[in-house]
Amino acid sequence: MKKIALVVAGLLFSAAPSRGEVSLDGFLQGLYGARLDSHNPTSTEQTASETRMQLRAEHFGDKGEFFGRLDFFWDGADTADYDWELREGYLKFRLGSSFDFKIGRQVLTWGTGDLIFINDVFAKDYRSFFVGRDDQYLKAPQNAIRAEYYHNIGSLAVVWTPRFEPNRLPTGRRLSYYSPMAGDIVGTEMGDEFFFDPPLPEAELKNGEVAARFQRRLGGFASAVYFYRGFYKNPLGMDLDNMVPIYPRLNVYGASIRGAIWGGILWAEGGYFDSRDDRCGEKPNVPNSSITGMVGFERQVATDLTVNGQWQLDYMTDYDQFAAQQPEGVYVRDEVRHLLTSRITKRLNMETITLSGFLFYSPSDEDLYFRFSTEYKYTDEITLALGGNIFDGKYENTEFGQFALNDNVYVKVTYGF
Amino acid sequence: MRKVTTYLILVFTAVLASTAMAASEDATEIMKKSHLAYYYAGNDGLAEVGMTLIDKKGKERSRQFSMLRLDVEEGGNQKYYTYFKKPSDVSRLTFMVHKTSGGNDARWIYVPAVDLVKPISADDKNSSFVGSDFSYEDVSGRHWMEDNHTFVKDSALAGAPVYVIESVPKESYKGFSRKLSYIDKTTLLPMKEEYYDKKGNLIRVFKAEKVEVIDGIATVTVRSMEDVKKGSRTVVSFSSISYNIGIEEDVFTERYLKSPPRKFIK
Repeated sequence: MKKIALVVAGLLFSAAPSRGEVSLDGFLQGLYGARLDSHNPTSTEQTASETRMQLRAEHFGDKGEFFGRLDFFWDGADTADYDWELREGYLKFRLGSSFDFKIGRQVLTWGTGDLIFINDVFAKDYRSFFVGRDDQYLKAPQNAIRAEYYHNIGSLAVVWTPRFEPNRLPTGRRLSYYSPMAGDIVGTEMGDEFFFDPPLPEAELKNGEVAARFQRRLGGFASAVYFYRGFYKNPLGMDLDNMVPIYPRLNVYGASIRGAIWGGILWAEGGYFDSRDDRCGEKPNVPNSSITGMVGFERQVATDLTVNGQWQLDYMTDYDQFAAQQPEGVYVRDEVRHLLTSRITKRLNMETITLSGFLFYSPSDEDLYFRFSTEYKYTDEITLALGGNIFDGKYENTEFGQFALNDNVYVKVTYGF
Repeated sequence: MRKVTTYLILVFTAVLASTAMAASEDATEIMKKSHLAYYYAGNDGLAEVGMTLIDKKGKERSRQFSMLRLDVEEGGNQKYYTYFKKPSDVSRLTFMVHKTSGGNDARWIYVPAVDLVKPISADDKNSSFVGSDFSYEDVSGRHWMEDNHTFVKDSALAGAPVYVIESVPKESYKGFSRKLSYIDKTTLLPMKEEYYDKKGNLIRVFKAEKVEVIDGIATVTVRSMEDVKKGSRTVVSFSSISYNIGIEEDVFTERYLKSPPRKFIK
């Protein structure tokens, strides 16, 4: 697919109208991270040791435009090798006055949450997120076709991703995780069999992903309804024959609203996760359907100081059956899982210094994840950053508790050009 | 006799009050015209903007962006669209403001690297615009009706005659307690503004460094703002300016926030 994307990009490059030039920019970045827990069962001591160059190319003419973002990097923490990834490479054009198209490798985002994703069922990269890479790396690219139709009553966007794109989760090499089979936090130091690499759904047309959103304004609020048909982005199911994690089928139906009120921004979003492989909650190897909702509010509380808070509820259907299926001796989540989050951002010294903290805390699972960073723009080109990721939990098998041995701090230097 | 004195005093105060009122009406009228000349030139406008931020140690930073403006109504609501070009870490980022005169502005930002559209809480109009010494309000303008204006004197600035007008916010305001404006008598553009805090200290100084006539409209093409307390200064220069180019209102929507109107933005 990478090759195809490159070829397509090349074709677009040459086929695009010659008017206008190709603009080129990007950055060079060094990221070094060290873990704070010595007992982590991973094979690496560093959580990051990489040098990365991102090149961005843009070209536009009368008919459309092309954008490409290509990363080359030396990754010394994982397999110690050079690698590259086409982060984005798409063609964008307009048909008539009401249709916009974006075709190719792209990052996709919608929904209202701040790092809480309900109707945004697009691929995330938690491997990057947990080790201090830039925010842009939280979003993993998808090879997709996006079409959006604009009308007076609202806009309808449809995204088709022919080949399912999963979330990128800790593999056990650099970050450890909880294995239900082992009943423990595992990593590749305990053996290569703990390298987490679940098989994807077959590359068939019916296994593609479709995501849609209809959005319109309601007074001062932006409202939207969403639909998704595809798979759980995390491999939450288990193939009982081969004892490997799998991605069960999923539909999501949801809605959101967001707008300015009380001197800040208020948002609310909800969704029904329809676990298509187990609608009655009978199968122990497939997640139950769930209903989830959240509210959030953000406001600037003082000059250059912004604070927000979110509260998410996740209600599992057929909970009693689920609870009865759980093995003895492991923590079983509550029927309703609560998650509270808060972000604080402070800018100083003509916005050249940014201090930020983000806390996830689940009072029901009794686990937390805290990320913090200090960023200093030394010049327009050079940015220095220090930060860290702290996980904790009472139990080993909760969302953040499983990463409790992955605490890390990092330093990052970026040169933009 | 006592009656006569009272009568005289009454007449005198009445005359005083009416002249004061006339002067303040004139001052308000001048400030209104100046506001329209400075913030509402043409029905719409497009410019390439270069911003240099100079801190107290003389260290410079720069920003480069394209800016589109549409006046929904003269002296009233406006819409702004900003497309950042430099520095590299904010390139292709877009920013949109719907200015509601007399109300809170609505602001949105689009971060292309994560395809994220985000409304920004716009409670504080005094917060800095992209780290510069200009505030959001300096960019889009504080409505002249929010202050009481008094004519101070006729004067001259660099040889050109100006009105000197004092403005005091009607309601207690964080941005300033008193402002002196030097308004060019011919173009009605503000050539200089001095902002004072409630203790009477000078806090900020605005200067129109260069005025050019573009499409028949006198335009401040280089402007600066000095933060006296911080010792920092921001110089903004406008180039490739054009007015009345027929920017549709549609441009100031999420659709174009995500996909810049290439007709205007290169």
